[in-house]
Amino acid sequence: MPQSGVVVEGLVKRFGSFEALRGVDFAVAEGTVVGLLGPNGAGKTTTINILTTLLPADSGRAWVAGYDVERQPQLVRSVIGLTGQYSAVDEDLTGRENLVLVGRLGRLGKSAARERAGELLDVFDLTEAGDRLLRTYSGGMRRRLDLAASLMVAPQVLFLDEPTTGLDPRSRLQLWEVIGGLRSVGTTIVLTTQYMEEADQLADRISVIDGGRIIAEGTADELKTRVGGNVVHLTLCDRTATSKAADLLARAFAVAHGELVVDDDLGTVQVPVAEGSAALVEAVRALDGEGVEVADLGLRRPSLDDVFLCLTGHIADEPRPDAPMLRRPRSSMRGR
Amino acid sequence: MTTLSQPIAFPTAEERAALPPRRVLGDITILAQRNLRRLLRNTGLIVFSTIQPLMQLILFAYVFTSVVDLGEGISYKDFVVPAVLVQSMTFSAMGSGVGIAYDLQSGMIDRFRVLPIARSAFLVGRIVSDSLRLGLQSILLVAASLAIGFHFQNGFVGAVGMIVVLVLFGMALTAFSAWIGLAVGDPESVQPAVFIPVLPLVFTSSAFAPVSRLPEWMQPVAYVNPITAAIDAARGLALGNDTLERVSDVSLTTSLLQFAAWWVAIVVVFTWLAVRRYRRG
Repeated sequence: MPQSGVVVEGLVKRFGSFEALRGVDFAVAEGTVVGLLGPNGAGKTTTINILTTLLPADSGRAWVAGYDVERQPQLVRSVIGLTGQYSAVDEDLTGRENLVLVGRLGRLGKSAARERAGELLDVFDLTEAGDRLLRTYSGGMRRRLDLAASLMVAPQVLFLDEPTTGLDPRSRLQLWEVIGGLRSVGTTIVLTTQYMEEADQLADRISVIDGGRIIAEGTADELKTRVGGNVVHLTLCDRTATSKAADLLARAFAVAHGELVVDDDLGTVQVPVAEGSAALVEAVRALDGEGVEVADLGLRRPSLDDVFLCLTGHIADEPRPDAPMLRRPRSSMRGR
Repeated sequence: MTTLSQPIAFPTAEERAALPPRRVLGDITILAQRNLRRLLRNTGLIVFSTIQPLMQLILFAYVFTSVVDLGEGISYKDFVVPAVLVQSMTFSAMGSGVGIAYDLQSGMIDRFRVLPIARSAFLVGRIVSDSLRLGLQSILLVAASLAIGFHFQNGFVGAVGMIVVLVLFGMALTAFSAWIGLAVGDPESVQPAVFIPVLPLVFTSSAFAPVSRLPEWMQPVAYVNPITAAIDAARGLALGNDTLERVSDVSLTTSLLQFAAWWVAIVVVFTWLAVRRYRRG
């Protein structure tokens, strides 16, 4: 039996005829951050719900901090924290009352819960708003309070399901900072995200999930290397020339059309290339010969977006074509 | 922004996971307190849920008393007030399901479900806080009944007994409403989902007319109706056994036994269903 961290073996989950998970495996070493990266409907939330005992798996096993999720759910619940996709806060309580409530139910005594709540309000920059009702909070403040609530009992393993979805850039940075701080004090974190840069920023290792399966696993650098080489990024003077440019570039670099990223609205084309700056010259030459003018041109290392595209054939924020259209799933209990 | 220190001695996993009865009671208390605190902050809800039954009480007592003559030596007002009070419990118990559906939608239930608390604590906490709410409401309504000229013919003990029946009945409906709230999961749909089975039961009971005066096909329904049992018990306690036998052909003892049997059945079945629904997620 695994002693620490998180171990997931062959999780399968069906909702009716939809197979949400088709055998998910991954492991998170104690004190590290793993990012589950994937588009909507890939199975991220379902995985988190199983690991946090909210949902039973149809088959497969999982251990959190050494406890079996299916057989020792009560022990799992006493070592985890969860911040779900949508803030789970009580609108009619103040920020402080929300935190104390969670702390008391998480087995802190009255005064310890108060002390901890005060400390977390401070950490999350909510001290001033601490005695206001939650219904007066902004989206970013709610998210921060939600995360603070999950930290009331200093969980060994923290699950963050798309913690920054819908946040403005400033709040997102603030949350990143807090998550970085938690990592540095040794909390094991499983984080789901559809943002490549978020996984890149926060996660020690990344598991790419798509269609209910883990399709790649490694550090951000390893995954980028896997895509191989660099990307030439071109902006055309004439936006209508993108498909012509794509044809020319595909031929010049001998790559399939599917590997190019073409944006008709922006008039941009991205081509994966093996070599470095020589590719820039070659790209201009290929287009120039056919009279396609280039407004801007650059070479960059592949981002995780490119990795995702390369692995799955679609970009990360497109939902799976076969995923059921659910209403806003505020709770694991909905949609069943 | 400061960083987190950890000065608090946090309990170990095993300590947190243990669920001795004292702790279960503690969880129930904490959750019930939370519900009451929320209730106190919803002044609109308090005002309207108090006005509604008062209005019904006044309308039924004054409008129908002038047109209905039961004979049997009892005014229609005395006959109908206990029934209106029982009916008001059905309306109020709906609030439990609505509250639970909100908790489901806001994600609070998932938050509680990942905490190491007893699986029954959330629902029992809800039933406890709502029973307190219903108790206060009953006392208020009894005071209002006295003000409009209702006569407790069975003395103080009978009046207290009626309040106990009202609260117990409301509690049973709270369990039903809680299950509906969890099953439906959408606050706006809870109201009709509770109403559709309950409202016909209210009208096919002994609430507004003695069962013997209901249409013949309706009488068997009225006899086995749990609301008839609750109303007869409340009426018998408020008006005395003799009056109850005159208007309902049933003794106070029988109606109390029927009520007790229904109460146990409803509480057990719906609490079980609701807890199962809560656990399973």
